[in-house]
Amino acid sequence: MLAKRKNGGQAPAVCERGRAMSNRLFQGIIHQMRDTIDRTIGVVDEASVIIACSDLGRIGEANEEVTTEALTSSDVFQTADSTFKSFGSRPHPEYAVFVDGVDPEARKYVKLLAVSLNSIKQYYDEKYDRGNFIKNVILDNILPGDIYLKSHELHFDSDVSRVCMLIKITDKNDVSAYEVLQNLFPDKNKDFIININETDIALVKEIKPNIDSHDIDKLAGSIVDTLSSEFYTHCMVGIGTVVDSIKDLARSFKEAQVALEVGKVFDTETTIVSYNNLGIARLIYQLPTTLCDMFLKEVFKRGSIDSLDHETLFTIQRFFENNLNVSETSRKLFVHRNTLVYRLEKIKKITGLDLREFEDAIVFKVALMVKKYLSNNPVKF
Amino acid sequence: MASVTLKNIKKVYPGGVTAVSDFNLEIADKEFIILVGPSGCGKSTTLRMIAGLEEITDGELYIGDTLANGVAPKDRDIAMVFQRYALYPHMNVFENMAFGLKLRKLPKEEIRKRVEAAAKRLDIFYLLDRKPKELSGGQQQRVALGRAIVRDPQVFLLDEPLSNLDAKLRTQMRTEIAKLHKTLGTTFIYVTHDQTEAMTMGDRIVVMKDSLIQQVDTPKNLYEKPVNQFVAGFMGSPQMNFIDAVLGKSGEGYTLSFGGCVMPIPGHKAQGAELEALAGQTVVLGIRPEDVHDEESFLQKAGGAHVECTVEVAELMGAETYLYLTCEGGSLTARVPSDTPAKPGDKRPVAFDLEKIHIFNKETENAVLN
Repeated sequence: MLAKRKNGGQAPAVCERGRAMSNRLFQGIIHQMRDTIDRTIGVVDEASVIIACSDLGRIGEANEEVTTEALTSSDVFQTADSTFKSFGSRPHPEYAVFVDGVDPEARKYVKLLAVSLNSIKQYYDEKYDRGNFIKNVILDNILPGDIYLKSHELHFDSDVSRVCMLIKITDKNDVSAYEVLQNLFPDKNKDFIININETDIALVKEIKPNIDSHDIDKLAGSIVDTLSSEFYTHCMVGIGTVVDSIKDLARSFKEAQVALEVGKVFDTETTIVSYNNLGIARLIYQLPTTLCDMFLKEVFKRGSIDSLDHETLFTIQRFFENNLNVSETSRKLFVHRNTLVYRLEKIKKITGLDLREFEDAIVFKVALMVKKYLSNNPVKF
Repeated sequence: MASVTLKNIKKVYPGGVTAVSDFNLEIADKEFIILVGPSGCGKSTTLRMIAGLEEITDGELYIGDTLANGVAPKDRDIAMVFQRYALYPHMNVFENMAFGLKLRKLPKEEIRKRVEAAAKRLDIFYLLDRKPKELSGGQQQRVALGRAIVRDPQVFLLDEPLSNLDAKLRTQMRTEIAKLHKTLGTTFIYVTHDQTEAMTMGDRIVVMKDSLIQQVDTPKNLYEKPVNQFVAGFMGSPQMNFIDAVLGKSGEGYTLSFGGCVMPIPGHKAQGAELEALAGQTVVLGIRPEDVHDEESFLQKAGGAHVECTVEVAELMGAETYLYLTCEGGSLTARVPSDTPAKPGDKRPVAFDLEKIHIFNKETENAVLN
């Protein structure tokens, strides 16, 4: 039944250093308990390999009787000569504790051991988990002075280039986007996937210095396309700026949040919004709403923008899209040139702005954006 | 397998931008249809609406006989391959192809069967144990296709799946995908901006521009009988030559004059009330580069209908040469046999194959004669 085999196998790549630390931690507890419990006790990992045991000679053995299905269950399960109970904090249990014997006492022991090992694991993870640390950094939950101390403690390279992305899942389905992203970026020493809330997931990715922004967009594109093509999950990605120090990660994360929020207002047809490419929208987003109201009142003193009907607004949009070219716009709108000229005259009468003039057109364009901003009332970060 | 029907489909984004207007199309079961057009014409949005990744503003979408507007993407029985696919770097090819099915909790044995069958079909069975970094670009592309095939869908949606590949690999994968369509016998909807891809792969092509369908037809018909100047210019490389000319009428026949040149339109082509209405007006003469000849034998056959040109550039492409010419103040491209003596700076006559000319209304840009 038992065979020596290498740890790892098909299991996803994890932080090897973290795993080794966990193994030592479990071995310490098992060692302390072996005198109290006069049976062989130990811990197996998700590949059914013994990673800690009161009988040191058995460490490294694989138990072929323990199936992956059994390991992922939360109940006590038994093989011919041992009793097991899974524990761990990931979506599925990562480890199982075992006690030799299949009697009621063995069941009691494994349950007790699972509780204590799980608690110590959670405590250890919270204290030393790099993911948790990064989460605290990007959410500004750590004092600036502590960032370097803690990163030193975790052997964390604090001065490499990184970028923050915020992935917002806009329609949920049965598949966990978090799990998919963890598999897309499995290097847990360099990339961190952090659940922010029910719909938002942050990715902190280590990148090459001086990386081209197109490559970052491409990376975001591959996230969007993989989630939608493989799992029918629609998402939007906000991209912050590249930072070279860990203390600036919180800024990059905030920028990613702003990018998504501004994108929702001004750039509704795109799924990837980069903070670096927000243009005039970023300026408007920073304006106080009172100032925006004043601007709209000033521009539309002769008549409200609300008095323009949907068709007129559509005409204006097309006119802007076609670089204020009357002939081209009328062709695109399938209307006679004179009809378009009549509509533009009507707009001039209502608003006092002649959209064929560049100065008036730009004022109108900005006013439309300000109006959009006010009516969407985006969250400020 | 299923047909796909789009009835008066419209997509307007919340900001008011219209991405797709009044899109009507019936895609037959097992058909390979291509949506082609320049960037921003609405082709990808149309595909994403079929996939359910974009809400349909107006109109009806049927997959088979089912109205699919409100059906969740995962329940539409479709599979998608996009341009910017990513493989899971720590998983081998088998695991990459199986991952989606595993998350959908399919039985292990079923997953194994499907992955192995897809791998055999794509000729990547021997790569099942390899990691993505050990694969070439083409092999990675096959794995991405494999991830879609294992789902055994009714309809495949492909959005520029080859644009990440280099030119040589793209040509190779084009053939592979066309072959795959034949062996799978499933409906394929393929989006591209590359007219060569469109011409070589599809049963029918939908040409789009500015959110509107311009023409839906077979590749041959699109090439030979474009409905307007946009389609004529978009399909074909190098693109069709367009020359402003005056349409003249002499007796029963018609002529085209530009510069000092007058060309008779063959009698059997020059028919129809629209042509009659345009007599005396400026129209746009369209002629494809391969229908512009500089061979001596053709010039003799063409009689006096020559155009005197200056050769600006001669590009030898191997089997043929592209001549970039200036004539009568305009420019012209000719695709001539590679043994042409033409050199840059030469002044030489060329003749048009008048059987192959197209005439477009200068104002509406619609075809009057094909």
